[in-house]
Amino acid sequence: MKKYRFYVTVWAGIALVLFATAFFVYYDTEEAEKRRIIYIAKVIDEDNDFWTQLIEGVEMAAAENNLAVTVVAAESEEDYERQNELIEWAIAQNPSAVLLTPISYTETSQTALKVREAGIPLILIDSVMDVDIADSVIATDNIKLGEVEGSFMKQFATPDSQIAIIGHVKNSSTAMEREYGVRIGLGEYEKQIVDVVFCDSDYDKAYELMVELIEKHPDIDLVAGLNEYSAVGAARAIKDMQLEDKIKVAGIDSSLEEIQLLEEGVFEGIVIQKPFKMGYMGVEAATNILNGENVLKNIDSGCELITKDNLYTEENQKLLFRFRDE
Amino acid sequence: MDVNKRRFNILGLFKSIRTSMIFWFSLLIVTTLLIFSVISINYTEETIMNNSIDYTTRLIKQVSRDINSYITYMENISSLVVKGGDVQRYMFTETGAEDKNELYERIVTQFNTVVEVREDISNIAVVTPEREYIINDGSDSLNENVMLTDVAWYMQALEGEGSILTPSHVQHVIKNNYKWVVTLGQGIKNPKTNQNEAVFFIDLNYRLLKDLCEKNTLAANDYVFIVDQTGKIIYHPKQQLLYSGLRKEKIEEVLNCDSSYFVTEDGDQSMLYTISVEEKTGWRVVGVVSLSELMNNKQETQRLYMLTAVLLLFMAVLIAILLAGAVTKPIKELKDSMKEVEKGNFKEANVPVRFDNEIGELSKSFNGMTTRIQQLMVQNLYEQKEKRKSELKALRSQINPHFLYNTLDSIIWMAEGGKNEEVVLMTSALARLLRQSISNDNERIPLEREVEYAKSYLTIQQMRYKDKLEYEIDVAPDIKKVAIINLILQPLVENAIYHGIKYKGAKGMVKIVGYREDEKIILKVIDNGVGMDEETLTNIFDKSKAKEGSNGVGVYNVQTRIRLYYGEPYGLQFESVAGEGTTVTITIPRNYGEGRTD
Repeated sequence: MKKYRFYVTVWAGIALVLFATAFFVYYDTEEAEKRRIIYIAKVIDEDNDFWTQLIEGVEMAAAENNLAVTVVAAESEEDYERQNELIEWAIAQNPSAVLLTPISYTETSQTALKVREAGIPLILIDSVMDVDIADSVIATDNIKLGEVEGSFMKQFATPDSQIAIIGHVKNSSTAMEREYGVRIGLGEYEKQIVDVVFCDSDYDKAYELMVELIEKHPDIDLVAGLNEYSAVGAARAIKDMQLEDKIKVAGIDSSLEEIQLLEEGVFEGIVIQKPFKMGYMGVEAATNILNGENVLKNIDSGCELITKDNLYTEENQKLLFRFRDE
Repeated sequence: MDVNKRRFNILGLFKSIRTSMIFWFSLLIVTTLLIFSVISINYTEETIMNNSIDYTTRLIKQVSRDINSYITYMENISSLVVKGGDVQRYMFTETGAEDKNELYERIVTQFNTVVEVREDISNIAVVTPEREYIINDGSDSLNENVMLTDVAWYMQALEGEGSILTPSHVQHVIKNNYKWVVTLGQGIKNPKTNQNEAVFFIDLNYRLLKDLCEKNTLAANDYVFIVDQTGKIIYHPKQQLLYSGLRKEKIEEVLNCDSSYFVTEDGDQSMLYTISVEEKTGWRVVGVVSLSELMNNKQETQRLYMLTAVLLLFMAVLIAILLAGAVTKPIKELKDSMKEVEKGNFKEANVPVRFDNEIGELSKSFNGMTTRIQQLMVQNLYEQKEKRKSELKALRSQINPHFLYNTLDSIIWMAEGGKNEEVVLMTSALARLLRQSISNDNERIPLEREVEYAKSYLTIQQMRYKDKLEYEIDVAPDIKKVAIINLILQPLVENAIYHGIKYKGAKGMVKIVGYREDEKIILKVIDNGVGMDEETLTNIFDKSKAKEGSNGVGVYNVQTRIRLYYGEPYGLQFESVAGEGTTVTITIPRNYGEGRTD
């Protein structure tokens, strides 16, 4: 009986050692399941450098951090209802984290709150909402962005100047903050803002608004566009009316057209955001949250003023032109 | 050597040999493995390090050579165009419009062919400072918003000799282009003025550079990048991240590095940078290998060693257990057997002999020894028995000859006095007495016969001493058949008469009482004679002293024989009060041996 027990012990020991060996050997090959994140953008528009670069940043960071990423967006930049549907859909997918660029300052937040209620980390990119629910917000400091534009415009202002602001989406946080920033940047000339209009991120509408503005206020000599659509739309109108010498335009964001308009001298300057960096840092923040590290509540991805003179400096061409291997 | 002087014994450290063996085996294995692990891990580490330096150096050199031939090839294309004559003639010769058109078509076709065939070429163009140009297939135009004098590389090519190479930049000279490229430019001489009056350039995209840098990639996290002599990036797999400021590259270190490689520590990441300078371009091709990955290998190796160590240790312990078991099992059997021998249990003492080794020899010797001891014990026992027998015999045959003479004298007087009846009584008593003392060879006799014997004796003595002696016998009937050794009552009765009654002035009384007390038989010989003082009482069993009082030897005999036969707790006990009498108590077991011997 005693002998029997001894042999049982010995064989149990051997089995244990073999098991440990197997465990050690296969421990490394056991791959962690790839985490999945969902980015709900405002819009996927191949023609828009800003969103394209932002999504590129998201995708590259996901690749760098070994995350699977799905990018979805509504058809247009105003369709918050569709975006809310997408948020609901994303929650149903139960991803590791949700990255969101909210369309509406007020209408998105109730749906976005459900992400948090589902226990999924929420990271806001580029825009914020009326409730403070995100784990981290990666955005350009829009007030500062507006301020840079405003103070750049200030040098062209005279006591007789009439200033127009063309915004993108009324009541969107970015439009409000940028407008506020422009007003700060303009300083004492802020009072000379004659009109603020919104083009709903549509080139043609911006164009028409600009034409209308000039009809209404023929003495306008300074125009601030608050995003790419509004700035380019306005610049196109001014170019077509050959008013580029009379009216100085400043814009926000960049696109090939905007750069060319800058080269042509329609734009005096543009203030660009760093969308690639924004997207990249958004995913990095998500990764850090998932790894249990602390992340900053607000991360400013920065902005840069580009004029015709510094367009092709080494630093700025890196910011303006997407690098592509092909 | 004196055994006691050997203080340290390898097996003496622990209480059991098995533990000692396991301990020393394990120690041996662990030490060996430790030494081997340290040696081989160090060796492996160094080898891996050297191997990766060797390997990356070779790889980087190869990339360098590939780049050299790539650039040379491009320069050849460039020379073909620049020195071909068509471009010069088109640009610098005033020819008829038709002729010029023909030249233009030829050049455009040539350019187009190159762009179409070579996917790595983004643009191919000739541009004069006067903004005359031929670009690609002729459909592209110059960017009218760009002043050529502001374009550094253009001016450099125009003013310099031979070809120039730019770092990565955006090609904005061509309208609507804005591609990231590396530009190879060369001034075109006007044969008349012998001055560069146009610039030919080829824009290289990253397709081929990427292929060159990535075709021999090492591990997953390793990469190759190229910087020019000023540290500007030509190609980097993470160019976009570097440009966005999300990544940093150790370009300063690469430029300042004198040897062909260096190692950087960045947190827990340790990277090996291997650098090769391509001579034609001055570009530095840098291979980056993560040493942490090598560390991973090292850790894996270490883990493997640890695992092997644990396995071997386990096996060693197992073998030690088995071996120790094999060695100690027969020893333990010997030990157990010896314990049995110690207890005197020889039947169980035989040890099985399993092996033909030292322990087998030991077992054999042990078995031989126990057998011999057993024989000796049996022999000894037999001899002891014989000895006791003869001793008992010797003690038994001592019937006092004086008693015999005196009795015979008494018979003679009684016969002379004509007391026939008394003569018959006495003679028959004497005859009984003698027959009993002589004839019975048995060691043990029933108690009733022993009593009978004492009674015969008392009868004779009573007749001799007439009025002086009286006796009484009171033995319980249930013990009459109990076998006891013979001749124990008579000597005590004799003693009582000669030492107690004889010196008493009045008539004396001897009483024999026998009864059972538990498992013992108590016999008492009680007299009311003179008794004994303390001193006599303490010396009663002393043989030499007893001899002084002539017949005292009888008491000694009885005591000795009871002790010899029955063992220690049994024997005689004397109680005496001087002047009042003596009581001798005999205690013997009720059942002894195989029961009665009759």
